[in-house]
Amino acid sequence: MAEFYGTTVADIFNTMPKRFKPEEAKDEDIAIGYECKGEGKWKVTIKHGTIKVEEVKGDLKGCATTIHAADAETFIGTTLGKIQAMDALTTGKLRVVGDVKLLMTLLPKIFVQYTAPEKKSSVVAKDIISTITERFRPDKAAGVDMKVGYDLAGEGGGKWTIVIKDGKCAVKEGLAKDLTVKMTMPAEIYVGMMLGTISGESAFTSGQVKLDGDMMAAGATSRFFNKFVDPNAKASEAEELITIKVTNSINCRFATGTAYGMWFKGLKEKKFLANVCPKCGRTQITPREICAFCRVRCNEFVELGPRGTITAADVVYFASPDPLTGAVRETPYAMCWILLDNASPQEAFCFDIKREDLPKMKVGARVRPVWAKETKGTFTDLLYFELDK
Amino acid sequence: MTTMTCKKEDTTNCFVFEGKMALPNQYFVGRLGSKFIIALRDKKKIMGLKCPKCKKTFVPPREYCHFCQTKIDENWVELGNEGVLVNYAVVRYLGKHLPKKVPYILGQIKLKGADTPLTHIVEGVDIKDVRIGMKLKAVFAPKTTNTLLDLDHFEPV
Repeated sequence: MAEFYGTTVADIFNTMPKRFKPEEAKDEDIAIGYECKGEGKWKVTIKHGTIKVEEVKGDLKGCATTIHAADAETFIGTTLGKIQAMDALTTGKLRVVGDVKLLMTLLPKIFVQYTAPEKKSSVVAKDIISTITERFRPDKAAGVDMKVGYDLAGEGGGKWTIVIKDGKCAVKEGLAKDLTVKMTMPAEIYVGMMLGTISGESAFTSGQVKLDGDMMAAGATSRFFNKFVDPNAKASEAEELITIKVTNSINCRFATGTAYGMWFKGLKEKKFLANVCPKCGRTQITPREICAFCRVRCNEFVELGPRGTITAADVVYFASPDPLTGAVRETPYAMCWILLDNASPQEAFCFDIKREDLPKMKVGARVRPVWAKETKGTFTDLLYFELDK
Repeated sequence: MTTMTCKKEDTTNCFVFEGKMALPNQYFVGRLGSKFIIALRDKKKIMGLKCPKCKKTFVPPREYCHFCQTKIDENWVELGNEGVLVNYAVVRYLGKHLPKKVPYILGQIKLKGADTPLTHIVEGVDIKDVRIGMKLKAVFAPKTTNTLLDLDHFEPV
């Protein structure tokens, strides 16, 4: 099996159940097929928070969506984000049969991002022991006189004696007879402890490390040395960056004036009140104090609707923030131009349509308003329009 | 069609909406800004950036020298926590997003070792008594907010 970016295709599928987030997928019911040329085929079944990953011989059957990668490099690269999925799709190295958009939103939601397994350090115990004299800190070890024996079994292991005396440190092969303390452990445990991946305390309590002699001395030894730094490890200490998040609350005041005062009075009574221009006879909804064409004051109000006809609609897919709350609005939604009954031609009223009616909505359709349970004379009284069947 | 009349003098149905708008906002303080705030927070130190060519030290930090446009983002120097007030303004406007209760003094403090002043809040001196040339020292916030206000204010030495 080919390896790219430090991982194989099988690794990605084997870790899938581990990376799966059941909570996020509890409403999902989908089977996704994967084909990676030269590597194999897999079927991933996600149903109500459960996941089943199986390798498939032969055809991928019963999958709503299938993903086909031209080679292992493309598949691994896109999974790790080393190759842009869009690039792979446009060059044809990656092909999706089914709902691409669904996949792009679903997969990041229900899976923890795959990361390549970290390479095991190639450092062995012998390497660490060989650096002991240069890591020695005479200032910390003044007046110390001890011999510490290491008996490290396994690959890269061996037997050494570290002699600390008169502010000097020496390493000798083999175990001296008059050791202050002797530590016996597998070489890999020693490496882990020195690299900080294994806690010395737990290694001791779990019996992986055996001590003979002065236990206090064993605990003290680490003080006499600078920490061992793995020369193979990347210096990848993440830089801390600060982002300040605040939610500002802005006070707003809006005075209705006479015309809008009438409009809200109408909403309270579940009526659409428009005002009429005394000169051109045009109805204005929502009402304005002055006719926008004739520039004369409009004092007469008439009731329009309540039913109307859709004359145009804007379906919005852009997730814009709601100006009243700052929260992102659910998409898609539609702003419809509704010509209420008795309104002058061209004088349509713009408002939301019920989300469920979006697919059936069309120009010319008849609609009726849906009001809040309790109308208070405010802009939340009118909920939306729905198709008048 | 029934009509009704509402003249402009008729305020029966007029009223005022009182609203609150929430504006969620995030501000990335930048790589240099982060280092500057982290030094305030963890080391209680004010750091500046020095141009090796012009020998000018800038605070708050900036990526390029103001005079010769040399990139100076790595050349951090530690500044003193004391400085001289070179300019000030008294904030009296009651803005609800201001960090302190008004009236307060917003001063420009030229720190020891810096060539540009740092703008910050001055406390511990009456508005009537504040003078240009005063010696001030930094007072750090006991609790971090991960903002510029980890340096809480300046006060007279």
